Amino acid sequence: MAVDKDDVARRVKEVTARVLNVDADKIQPTDTFSGDLGAESIQSIELVAAFEEEFNIEMDEDEALSVTNVGKAIEFIHDNVVKQHG
Amino acid sequence: MKLVVFEDIQAAANFFPISLSRPVFELRCGMFNLAEKITKRLSAEPSAYLVRDYLVATFKRRAGSAAVNDLAAVKNDTVLMVNGQVKAASLKVAADGPSEIGMKGDQVVYCRLAGNDTAKIDAAKVGIETLPLVDGHNVAVKQVEAEFFNYSWDIMLESPHEIAHDFKMVGKSGIEGTVEQPNAIRGSKDDVYIAPGAKIHPMVVIDASAGPVYLSEDVEVHPFTRIEGPAFVGRKSLLLGAKLREGCSIGPVCRVGGEVEESIMHAYSNKYHDGFLGHAYVGEWVNLGALTTNSDLKNDYSTVEVMLNGQKIDTGSNKVGSIIGDHTKTSIATLFNTGSIIGAMGLLMGTGEPLPKAIPSFAWFINGVVTKGFGRKALYKTAETATSRRKMPWTQDDLDLWEKIFEITKEERDVAVAKGRKQMVRR
Repeated sequence: MAVDKDDVARRVKEVTARVLNVDADKIQPTDTFSGDLGAESIQSIELVAAFEEEFNIEMDEDEALSVTNVGKAIEFIHDNVVKQHG
Repeated sequence: MKLVVFEDIQAAANFFPISLSRPVFELRCGMFNLAEKITKRLSAEPSAYLVRDYLVATFKRRAGSAAVNDLAAVKNDTVLMVNGQVKAASLKVAADGPSEIGMKGDQVVYCRLAGNDTAKIDAAKVGIETLPLVDGHNVAVKQVEAEFFNYSWDIMLESPHEIAHDFKMVGKSGIEGTVEQPNAIRGSKDDVYIAPGAKIHPMVVIDASAGPVYLSEDVEVHPFTRIEGPAFVGRKSLLLGAKLREGCSIGPVCRVGGEVEESIMHAYSNKYHDGFLGHAYVGEWVNLGALTTNSDLKNDYSTVEVMLNGQKIDTGSNKVGSIIGDHTKTSIATLFNTGSIIGAMGLLMGTGEPLPKAIPSFAWFINGVVTKGFGRKALYKTAETATSRRKMPWTQDDLDLWEKIFEITKEERDVAVAKGRKQMVRR
């Protein structure tokens, strides 16, 4: 089954917006979670959990937490979805 | 006679999380661990120990000259293999005699092998598996009287009596350390021992009226501490204005403040600040944040049930606090419910409410749910920092041990993490 990257991007932004309480429409791929979107350390843990739940995937926590911006998160999650469900 | 102390591999999980990182017979009860008690009971130093394979490398550091999972040295002599879970005081076995397996129900109490039978020993088969091994060679099986510790709370509940028993056995009393006045010792001074190097500051009360108090070498007791016997405090431990209620066994190099009652703490653990710990069993390198408190009695006085390895177990006691595995840290104001089983290598953040009664090892308990947090590597880094502060190196063997424990505890943790994710998203 092909995994639609645009759909992944949309859902990543929605989850990010919900967890960090920001406007999804204003999230840019270059936005960093901590610097631009204001994620505190505990929220980054919540983000990882929320992405796993949204996409029904398991992510390595070290790799996941090393992803710093939204664009890279979309790539990383897309790759995981393909690996685990593709 | 060559003494071998073994752990019953099939029963080891009953002592989780404390036994995740050490053999069952290294659990502390009274002034000594279970193997030391057996050793003293039989007046014989162990020539070898038999433990779960993944514990061998780290346990060897503590085993002295005894062999670990290697019985080559004990062949050609009468061998007495004793189950490390046996309550030493109940152990009745002659050091020498014919080959014989002593059983209590379906639990091996001891296995004595003499003459040609010693050649049949197979280190790979220990505990209950010893029976079919030797049984096949016509070794007599005999039902004997003995008592066992079957869970960690059994040990914790027995510990106060064992302190009194061990104090008598050691036979020391008097003041060899420094006691600054004013101080008060209640009860008989014969029931107090203050070892050389121990420093008791002014305004300390030692109450030995209900049981003996043993303060080991280099213990330091700060003002306004009250110690009620029976009590044992291991070397280099520090009591900081603590209310040490009766029945506490504190391991070496611990720091203890607040109120502690009928609890056991292994080495290098800290409960520096106020907060109540009752009927608890705390592993090594644990740090309990200020005001961390556990309940040890239900409001309806009924017996305490625990969730251990996914099974609900009635402890049969109405006093059981928390069992906390090695290297776990709690935040300020963490509250534990009655009969909580808290895994090893966890990082727990209080919520203002009692935490779930079962938290798996390697859990990052954050905002009321179990998460993967920042992963186990971050926990190892903290553990390395903690151990190096005490000049104890964190070695590849430690890392291998904890990687194995991570694997052993994975199933329970995965379930809790998945549940936590759902709870988090629903908010």
